[in-house]
Amino acid sequence: MRRLLSELQRVVAAPSRNPRMAVVLGRLLAIAFLLCFGTGLYSHFLQEPLPWMRFPTRPEGLYQLTQGIHITAGIACFPLILGKLYTVFPELFQTPPLKGFVHLLERASIAIFVGASLVQITIGLLNTYQWYPWPFGFREVHFALSFVVIGSLAIHIAVKLPVISRFWTKRRAELAFAEDTAEAEAELEAEPLDGKTATDARPVGGVTGRVLRWIDDTPAPEPVASRRGFLGVIGFSTLAVVVLTAGQSFAFLRPSNLFAPRAQGIGPQNLPVNRTAEAAQVTVSAVAPNWRLSVRNGETQITLTRDELLALPQTAVELPIACVEGWSQTASWRGVRIKDLAAAVGASQDRALRITSLEKEGGYRVTTMGPEYVGDDSTLVALELNGETLDIDHGYPARIIAPGRPGVLQTKWLSSLEVL
Amino acid sequence: MRITRIVLVVIGVLGLLLGALVLVMKQDPAQIVGVGVWMIGAILLHDAILSPLVVGAGILVRKTGRRLPYGILAIVQAGVVLAAILGLIVAPEIYAKTLGVANPTVLPLDYTLNLVLTWAAVAVLTAACCALYLARARRRASGTAPAQAVTRED
Repeated sequence: MRRLLSELQRVVAAPSRNPRMAVVLGRLLAIAFLLCFGTGLYSHFLQEPLPWMRFPTRPEGLYQLTQGIHITAGIACFPLILGKLYTVFPELFQTPPLKGFVHLLERASIAIFVGASLVQITIGLLNTYQWYPWPFGFREVHFALSFVVIGSLAIHIAVKLPVISRFWTKRRAELAFAEDTAEAEAELEAEPLDGKTATDARPVGGVTGRVLRWIDDTPAPEPVASRRGFLGVIGFSTLAVVVLTAGQSFAFLRPSNLFAPRAQGIGPQNLPVNRTAEAAQVTVSAVAPNWRLSVRNGETQITLTRDELLALPQTAVELPIACVEGWSQTASWRGVRIKDLAAAVGASQDRALRITSLEKEGGYRVTTMGPEYVGDDSTLVALELNGETLDIDHGYPARIIAPGRPGVLQTKWLSSLEVL
Repeated sequence: MRITRIVLVVIGVLGLLLGALVLVMKQDPAQIVGVGVWMIGAILLHDAILSPLVVGAGILVRKTGRRLPYGILAIVQAGVVLAAILGLIVAPEIYAKTLGVANPTVLPLDYTLNLVLTWAAVAVLTAACCALYLARARRRASGTAPAQAVTRED
C-alpha cells in the first residue's frame, strides 16, 4: 500500500506541482473567497437585516458593484480552484496516509474544505442559470457553506503557515527550493543502498509494474516552460471567464458578454426581468381600473390612483436594477419621491415602511424598507421607465426603485405602503 | 507564528460550528444528508475522475508527441485546458436552457454557438502560438547574428 502510494505520488509529480505554485494560486483563491464572502454577507444582511442595521444609499450603484463582484469572483474561482487542486494533487497519496490524530483532523479539514468549496461555487453558478438539481434549499445551504468554507480556509492557512511563509516571495521560494534540493542530495549520499532502499528500488511486478514502466518511459516535462505555462494558462483562463461573463453586471464589458446567463439591453423596455407579471399572478389585478395605492400611517390613510400619482411632483433618477443573481443594468426612472408620500400621511423622515405587492405569493410580497432609504431623495414610487409607461413585467402600475438595494426588494406591482 | 496559528484555528473552528448550526437550523435531516452527498460527490468527481484523466492525458500527450518540441506540447496543452474550463462552465448552461426558462431574458444567448466560436478562436490562437514558437526556434537554430538572438531572448 505504502509502495503504491509513493509510486502514485511519483507518477503524478510535475514541475508545476510545487509549494510555490500552491502558495501563488492559494493567495489568489483566498482573495476570491474573501471577496465572495464579504459581498455575500452584505447581500444577505440587505435582505435580512438585524434590527439595528442601517445601510449606505450612496454610491447608488453600490449593490450593483458588490453583487457583480460576488458573482464574477465566484466564476473566477473555477479555474483558480482547479489549478490549485492540480498543484497539490500528489498530497492525496502522501505516505503514511495517516500519522496520528492531529494528522487525521488535518486531512479531514482539507476534505471538508475541498468538498464545501466545490459545492459552494457549483450551486452558486447553477443558481445563476436558475437550475436547481439538488435536494436542499439553495439560499440556506449557500449561506451555511460560506461559513464552512471560510472556517476551513482559516484552519488550512493555520496548518500550512510554515510552508506559506517559506514560499511567500519569489526570493524566499528560491532559497527554500535550494535548501530542499541540498537536503535530498545529502540524504541520498548518507544511505547508499541499505536494505530498506534496496527493497524500495526493486521494480514493482504485475500489471501495476507494467503500467508504471510504461509511464516511466514517457519523456519528462521541461520544468521552466511547464511552470510558466501552467501559471499562464490558469491566469489566462481566469481572465477569460471574467471577461466573457462580467458584461451582465458591468456595462463596459457588455460587448464581450458571450456566456453570462443574462445580457443587458434585452427584455421589455430594454431591461431584463426576473419575475414576470404572469409568474406573480398579477396580470388581472395590475391593470384593474379600481387599482389604488394606499399609504397609511396609523389612523391617517390616503389612496391614490395612477393619475393622481402622476399629478404629484415627479422626480427623474438614473438607478440600476441589480439582481442577487449578479446581473444589473442602469435605467431611467420617473415617479414620486417616497418621502413626499410619507410626509403626506404625516410621517417624519426617520420611519421605516412596510411595502406590500399585489402578487399572490412569494417571499418578497411584503418587505420592509429602512428609514435610510425612505428619507433618500432618489427613492421613488416609479411610474415610468426609460421615458415610457412602466411595462407590466417591470411593475405597472407602480413600483419601488431605491438606490443600493437588491432587485428582490425593488417591489413591483405596488399595493400599499404602511409607515411603521 | 504560534499565536497567529492558534487564532486562525479558533476562527476556523467557530466558522465550522456556525456553518453546521445554520445548516441544522434551516434544513431538515434529509436535506443535510443531501449536502453531505454533494460534498462527497464533488470530491470523488474531482479526485477519482477529473484528476486521473488530466494526469493520463498529460502522459499520453507527451508519449505521442515524442518527436515534437516540448514547447509545442505545452502550448497545445494550454489551449486544451482553456477550452475545457470554458466548456465546464458553459455546458450546464446549455443544458439548463434546454429545460426551459422562466422568461425570455433568462439565458437569452445562443451559448452553444458562442462556445463553438470561442473554441475555434482558442484553436486559432493555439495554432498561431505554435507557429510563432516554431519560427523563433528555427531562427535561433539557423544561427542568426548572436546579438540579434540575445535581444530576442530579452
